[in-house]
Amino acid sequence: MTDLRDDFPILKNKIYGQRLVYLDNAATSQKPSSVIDSISDFYKYDNSNIHRGVHYLSELSSDLYEEARKKVSTFIGSSDPSEITFTAGTTDSINQVAFSLKSTLMGNEVLISGMEHHSNIVPWQLAGAKIKTIPMDEDCNLLLDSMEITDKTKLIAISHVSNVLGTVNDIKRITEIAADHDIPVLVDAAQSIQHLPLDVEKIGCDFLAASGHKMYASSGIGILYTNNRYSDIMPARGGGGMIDKVTFEGSTYLSPPLRYEAGTPNISGAISVGAAIDYMQNIGLDKIREHEHDVYSYAKERLLDTDGITVYGNNEDMCGSISFNIENIHHYDLGLILDKMGIAVRTGHHCAQPLMELLGTEGTVRASFALYNTKEDIDILMDGIEKARMMFS
Amino acid sequence: MSDHIQDEIIEQFQGLEWLEKYELLISFARELEPMHEQFMTEEYAISGCQSKVWIRTHIENGKLIIHLDSEAMITKGIIYLLMKVMNNRSPQEIVDLDLYFIEETGLKSNLSPARADGLASIIKRIREVAEMEIN
Ligand SMILES: Cc1ncc(COP(=O)(O)O)c(C=O)c1O
Repeated sequence: MTDLRDDFPILKNKIYGQRLVYLDNAATSQKPSSVIDSISDFYKYDNSNIHRGVHYLSELSSDLYEEARKKVSTFIGSSDPSEITFTAGTTDSINQVAFSLKSTLMGNEVLISGMEHHSNIVPWQLAGAKIKTIPMDEDCNLLLDSMEITDKTKLIAISHVSNVLGTVNDIKRITEIAADHDIPVLVDAAQSIQHLPLDVEKIGCDFLAASGHKMYASSGIGILYTNNRYSDIMPARGGGGMIDKVTFEGSTYLSPPLRYEAGTPNISGAISVGAAIDYMQNIGLDKIREHEHDVYSYAKERLLDTDGITVYGNNEDMCGSISFNIENIHHYDLGLILDKMGIAVRTGHHCAQPLMELLGTEGTVRASFALYNTKEDIDILMDGIEKARMMFS
Repeated sequence: MSDHIQDEIIEQFQGLEWLEKYELLISFARELEPMHEQFMTEEYAISGCQSKVWIRTHIENGKLIIHLDSEAMITKGIIYLLMKVMNNRSPQEIVDLDLYFIEETGLKSNLSPARADGLASIIKRIREVAEMEIN
């Protein structure tokens, strides 16, 4: 799979005169040429507003946009494209659900894990809900048997894969428990949609949120899956494109998904998501999974072999991100030094301050992988870490 | 306006590769007089820095004395230089001071507001303290 690097123009660039080792994929992924072309082709040949005009281009762009929606729907295992709304990103998707469910959530509780991104914490607080967490063991694995559901629990909102630890949470079991209590489940798939096969119908979740930019597509575009059971919840935004009839006395809305897409959406962004899905499917999701698993296992093995290292979280099923600290080296120093060797990692709290508190650290160094990363990248990272250790010895 | 402390620093960094610059900063960091732990609290912290930075200042004989510390070594090395350049000047001198060594040593890329390092926030805080002393 080494040749996949060639599909990504930015990876050919030299950083400080060295090969770019991009290990900040959980923040955002790089884009293959086919995705970049889908955006520029849209503006060169197809651009027009959608669902509005009768003219040729308007129909063309509407078709492309709706085709992208169908691709997303199939990709995540929904049998009905009207369950897919295009949003601005995971954060936006979650905020929209929080707004729509506000009257239910206000004064009640949302159950989340201790490893959530701020984007899956703050929207619930803004909706007036109290946050409760599912207990974790010392390896940061959820203790689902000790999960406490009360009369006040109105939603379970959980990341599929942790953006800090890479832990894959057992969503299926959570939805089963939730179903016994008739509580909806929102899955934050920001860190899983690009790594694992997703099947919302098998998982049995009610909402699922993801970001285009983390799955090889453009930024400013996101996905929200809303199960048809919830097709009549309040739209979070009002305006053009989502209404059936407007009068000063009141308005009626179109059916989903258009009801949830007020205003002109990010058309080229949606098309780029479709192109990214095509790109991944052409390689083969199983092949991607297998390759990423190899690289991840190799990284973990090499890191665990390092003196004075703490690797956070431990689970049989992990992917995407791996977080660590090296004794006597501040994460920020390590990040700066690796940067100058052309290695891009992220340092800090990774928008998960409550998790940092649980881990007893101010921040970590996080390496996160995409389909174009190789064992060679890991070797370069390990050499970089060794070099940094010498500088601090 | 040039000053010899800054010129000397620029000379030390002349022709160094990035990692050599960091090595030099780490060696400066080791010389930094540590702040007493009791002051490493929110009260003395400068926000906007990814590595925590603490600041204490006082006036001695009309000069502003600045003491900075951080938990990260590279940040410590940079604040060591800042202290070297800015300390023992009157508040007015500090407000007027052109910190040209930051650009000329190439450390400026650590200064940009986008950097979580927040060197810019440190300098801003020092200038604010100096301005308060003037008024
Ligand atoms: C688990 C998780 N949830 C939510 C988000 C927010 O995504 P976005 O910034 O694209 O809205 C991220 C991004 O880092 C994430 O990793």
